[in-house]
Amino acid sequence: MSAIITFDNVWKKFKKGERHDSLRDLIPATAKALFRKNSSSELEEKEFWAVEDVSFEVKHGEALGIIGPNGAGKSTILKLLTKILRPNRGTCSIVGRTGALIEISAGFHPDLTGRENIYLQGAIMGMRRKEITSRFDEIVDFAGLSSFIDTPVKRYSSGMNARLGFSIAAHLNPEALVIDEVLSVGDVAFQQKCINRMKEFKHNGVAIVFVSHNLQAVSMLCDNALYLKNKTMAMGKVTQVLEEYLKDTIPNTDFSERYLKVNDFNLSSSSKSLTDIAPRTSLNFTVNAIPKIKLKDYHIGFKVVRSTDLLVVYDGNWTGDELGCPELSPNQPVKFSFEFTSHLTKGQYYISWHIFYGETQSFLVEIVPAGHFSVDEGRTWAGVADLDVKAKVS
Amino acid sequence: MKKFIADIIEAVSEQFQYRELLWQMTRRDIIIRYKQAAMGFGWAVFMPLINTAVFSIIFTQVAKIDTPVAYPVYAYCGLLFWNFFSSSLRFSVTSLVSNINLVTKIYFPREIFPFSAVIVCLIDAFVGAVVLVVLMMYYHIGVGPSILLFPVVLLVHVAFTAAIALIIAMANLFYRDVKYVFEFVLSIWMYLTPILYPLEEINEKYRLAFQLNPMTYIIDAYHNVLLLNKPPEPISFVLTTIVSLGLFVVCWQIFHRTEFKFAENI
Repeated sequence: MSAIITFDNVWKKFKKGERHDSLRDLIPATAKALFRKNSSSELEEKEFWAVEDVSFEVKHGEALGIIGPNGAGKSTILKLLTKILRPNRGTCSIVGRTGALIEISAGFHPDLTGRENIYLQGAIMGMRRKEITSRFDEIVDFAGLSSFIDTPVKRYSSGMNARLGFSIAAHLNPEALVIDEVLSVGDVAFQQKCINRMKEFKHNGVAIVFVSHNLQAVSMLCDNALYLKNKTMAMGKVTQVLEEYLKDTIPNTDFSERYLKVNDFNLSSSSKSLTDIAPRTSLNFTVNAIPKIKLKDYHIGFKVVRSTDLLVVYDGNWTGDELGCPELSPNQPVKFSFEFTSHLTKGQYYISWHIFYGETQSFLVEIVPAGHFSVDEGRTWAGVADLDVKAKVS
Repeated sequence: MKKFIADIIEAVSEQFQYRELLWQMTRRDIIIRYKQAAMGFGWAVFMPLINTAVFSIIFTQVAKIDTPVAYPVYAYCGLLFWNFFSSSLRFSVTSLVSNINLVTKIYFPREIFPFSAVIVCLIDAFVGAVVLVVLMMYYHIGVGPSILLFPVVLLVHVAFTAAIALIIAMANLFYRDVKYVFEFVLSIWMYLTPILYPLEEINEKYRLAFQLNPMTYIIDAYHNVLLLNKPPEPISFVLTTIVSLGLFVVCWQIFHRTEFKFAENI
């Protein structure tokens, strides 16, 4: 199938600072705007590239996640896709009816009632009156606002506003859908409803571009991802791209080596690779270190965390006594190792390791992250633990 | 030329595709204008009526002038259609800027904002026209076959209004000075249009300023077809028609071709 959303070597520049223009410049500027075919594609004074040579395509039934730090150009890409902005170089296009879940309640007027706003916002999103009327009850039900539908929107809470906005957008009938950070609103139940709705769209063959800081949602919904860094981008399978992004974002902690010097640490798996391993793969983590002083009354800790939402999957602590080594002698190399099995579902995970010293009541060394791995399988939609479920029909 | 025509077709078909939104925007503006206003549509009648009363006192008691029909009808007729023009522009000039949220966040043809401002004012004018009918009946002014030309006059007037509306809405988006300059221009423009006095009453010295103003012929045409049962002055009105329609097409084109810069310049 051919791509319905294409973004081909797109460049877009913006100007820094305020324009100090006056009416005097209006006529020459307007004339210039009229006679110049396209805005110049070279950088002029005080300008910078907000989007630099970005390309991707999305086919029917596919979802592309766009991730990256604030200011990386994510929203600009969506504005280019929805024709609000025009690129300076390159082309972007969407074939077919496009729905945009960007600022889903931007069109609401506070003095109008919910009912009036549904028709207005629906029209802004390109729906016909007949369509809106035929789906009106569904929209109201989905938003859960039936008893407030004839109240002016200015009396709504911000959550109600957002719910109504999403609900209208969710009842569009698009072939391509562009979504910007809409999950940050509404309660947990409503967020879940939104995710399910988007999955439904995808299942029905809608091509989706999804921008979010909710990495868990990205990893659940998207097949591919685009990671925008400064000047560069990474594109590929969602698990790999997320992993790359997380490596850049999870802060590395510094530690002093006054009491214990860590020589090296290493995470390995029985399947060689650490990327997209199967559930229930054996993993092994080791730390080689040399104590500088005699260490008594110490604890070591080992943690497994889901990177996308920082959910702590496992957090174990052991005292020296429990490990049968109550005391570490100075300058004697020591090896800590942890064997574990990834009873985990699809997702990105990292591990961390620390050693705590009872005498000073402080962490001697804490390594975060000490290693990354990702699990891939095709069955689960959500959840975190692989419970080794055997499903049967009889 | 080919591109020019292709662009016109694109702009018009896009407008047609979004006709539902034009209607919803118009509806929105009408509803919010009269929501929480006890007098509601009464305002559409009240303002020209007050103005008419004031000018009637001035021009029949203080500085008497000759008008072909009773002065209050003459003035009300002129003011009604001038008000449509001036309030359309007053709403249009800020229409893009006051909808900054929509302009920067959601795509649809931006012409909808000035267009809906014009339509809203046109509806107000229709409401105000009820009073005109009452006044005409009171002063025993009948209409003749010339009234059949009324739709033509109105069409020319709407085209001219929409042309200016598009340009000032766009200009104000780039340069907020436009709003202030425009208010000032509009008040001078009103006195350079024979709304409250016939063109013949104007001193020869100043007549040229009136004759270069398309609104002169439009208001004059309203007076002719509605109150005097005469067709509009043929040559000047045909010229005005050509100028208005031409201006409308050109202004729409300028607006349409500049549209894509709105979001980053607002």
